[in-house]
Amino acid sequence: MAELKFLGYLAEVVGARGKNLVLENPKPLRELLPSSFPEKNIIILIDNKVGHLDSLIGNENSVVIMPILSGG
Amino acid sequence: MKGYTGKLLRVNLSNGKILKEEISDAMKRDFFGGRGFAVKLLWDEVKHIDPLSEKNKIVFSTGPLTGQPLPSSGKMVIASKSPLTGGYGDGNIGTMASVHLRKAGYDVMVVEGKSGKPSYLLIENESVKIMDASELWGKNTFEAQDVLEKKHGRNSGILLIGPAGENLIHISVVMSQRGRAGGRPGMGAVMGSKNLKAVVIKGTGSIPNFDDGKVKEFGKKGYEEIKGKENYDFWVRQGTMQAFDWCNENACLPTYNLREGVYQYSKEFDGDVVQKIKVDRKGCPLCNMQCGNIISDSSNTPSELDYENVGMLGPNIGMKDLREVALLNRMADEWGLDTISLGSGIGFLMESSEKGLIPEKIGWGDFKSVQKLIIDIGKGEGLGKLVSHGVRAAAEIIGKESHRWAMHVKGLEISAYNCHACPGMALSFGTSPIGASHKDAWIIAWEISTDRFSYGKEKVEKLIEFQRIRGGFFESATVCRLPWVEVSFGLHWYLEYLEAITGNRMSWEDLYKIGDRIYNLIRAYWKREIPQFGRKWDYPPDRWFEEPQSQGKMKGVKVDREKYDQMLSWYYEMRGWDQNGIPLKETLNHLGLAGVSKEIIG
Repeated sequence: MAELKFLGYLAEVVGARGKNLVLENPKPLRELLPSSFPEKNIIILIDNKVGHLDSLIGNENSVVIMPILSGG
Repeated sequence: MKGYTGKLLRVNLSNGKILKEEISDAMKRDFFGGRGFAVKLLWDEVKHIDPLSEKNKIVFSTGPLTGQPLPSSGKMVIASKSPLTGGYGDGNIGTMASVHLRKAGYDVMVVEGKSGKPSYLLIENESVKIMDASELWGKNTFEAQDVLEKKHGRNSGILLIGPAGENLIHISVVMSQRGRAGGRPGMGAVMGSKNLKAVVIKGTGSIPNFDDGKVKEFGKKGYEEIKGKENYDFWVRQGTMQAFDWCNENACLPTYNLREGVYQYSKEFDGDVVQKIKVDRKGCPLCNMQCGNIISDSSNTPSELDYENVGMLGPNIGMKDLREVALLNRMADEWGLDTISLGSGIGFLMESSEKGLIPEKIGWGDFKSVQKLIIDIGKGEGLGKLVSHGVRAAAEIIGKESHRWAMHVKGLEISAYNCHACPGMALSFGTSPIGASHKDAWIIAWEISTDRFSYGKEKVEKLIEFQRIRGGFFESATVCRLPWVEVSFGLHWYLEYLEAITGNRMSWEDLYKIGDRIYNLIRAYWKREIPQFGRKWDYPPDRWFEEPQSQGKMKGVKVDREKYDQMLSWYYEMRGWDQNGIPLKETLNHLGLAGVSKEIIG
């Protein structure tokens, strides 16, 4: 089961702070997200490594997507 | 040059002399405003003196963008030779005083000397008076603000200190508007040393711009662009508090005296919790993305929270209840104490107690003891006295290797980011020109979005780019960086604003060069005031190199000292400094600072 976690306003874009998905085949990350999901100023970590919207996601992956913040 | 009032107000509290001086075009061109004006004035006028002596001066400085009808322009830089660090110190503050100073006809105010009795300054356009502050002395910043507003009107611009500044506590700040704070490196104590309780400014004039119509038009478009950003609504609800969950997820939350980066009680504090219990919001003038979250604290009194104070007075000292943290934060604001240094000092004491280095027992999250400690720190009494001059001084007193986890750089306490697994941010703290502040270059998000474990040259290049924009441009312009960094407000707008305000079209290359001049002069200031200053001052504490995090997804990670050393060497090369971190003669000459090189190099 693929785990997706969303931080900050991205959770509101998706409508949830997290999603667990059972995937028959690996899919590009963007296909698992709503079409309104922002493509810029975001950080994608797949199993703690930097990924992107076209990264293939399988059931073994843990994905965290977060906005780029400034730290005040 | 348009966009400046062109006047510097100089007040000598020793002899009561008040001067209004012209600011030269060369000063405006080369040092721009805000931090640039401040360091130039301090370089020229404040040499080899005790920071709390009559000979120190405190500078209240604005820039060409300050007080203009454009996004988040209600800022001011307060600077002086720092009693906390011994070097150059400054901080920005969002306050009506910045707008009023410009409208009163001044870009900068320098206060020097020492009043014979508690005083405050009353500036009403041309009229400048030194007033008796006997009835204000001893009052906390909220009470004193009330008194001054009653006397001079609610719309006055007011800067003031609390009892901590009066007591010359080195971690005291300047406050405004019941919760705005600035001047972390002890600017409150500098005011206190001059018997200066407050500055009240009422200005009714206007700033002479090149094209007022365009300033208003572009300003309006800027505000509209910000409101249209996709994360604007979320920002308005959570402000900087959204960083709490973010930092915990990325294992950089300040936890247990910056020993760990994740906190088991993080869900009690994050932005969603704040959003639910928030009763109001507040912030700086001329800002449409105000970041202050007001909640009701554990005594049912309103308190303003943001990420830094929650991080440092929350997980960094083991607190578990956000409303209790809010109460601690309000106490700090009332006393006029810097919440970051306060949280670091209390964390240091808790760890000292845990390790048996002090006889007093003060456990992590001990709310009752912390309340008493804040009062003691504000008074410089009891156990609080130990950390009232910062953790560097405390570690020198305690000894026993405690300097390894006294979390500061150059004497200024590290703000709310654990860097065990963020070497770029560790270097940012290491090279920040006032000590360990995040304001000059917050590189964590960039390094996590690329490769957080890299120690490559590209990270050093990005750090310098951030320093040029944040510490150079924003601190001297002088406007808030948050529209750019938090909702991606376009940097190109600032070039448009500058052209409409000054009549000059500037490029980012021009602004970078000004930023470099400011950074080099600050560096030279440290070297002149502290002859032994050099490379070893640019390292974070041993803790981050020697004690890996023990929890969370960055368990086992620490900063690699050799690789940090290499990054620092690259940083010096890129800055045009020698390997001891001192600006090279040719670098200073290139920046038009030939006279400076004579003083620090010979």
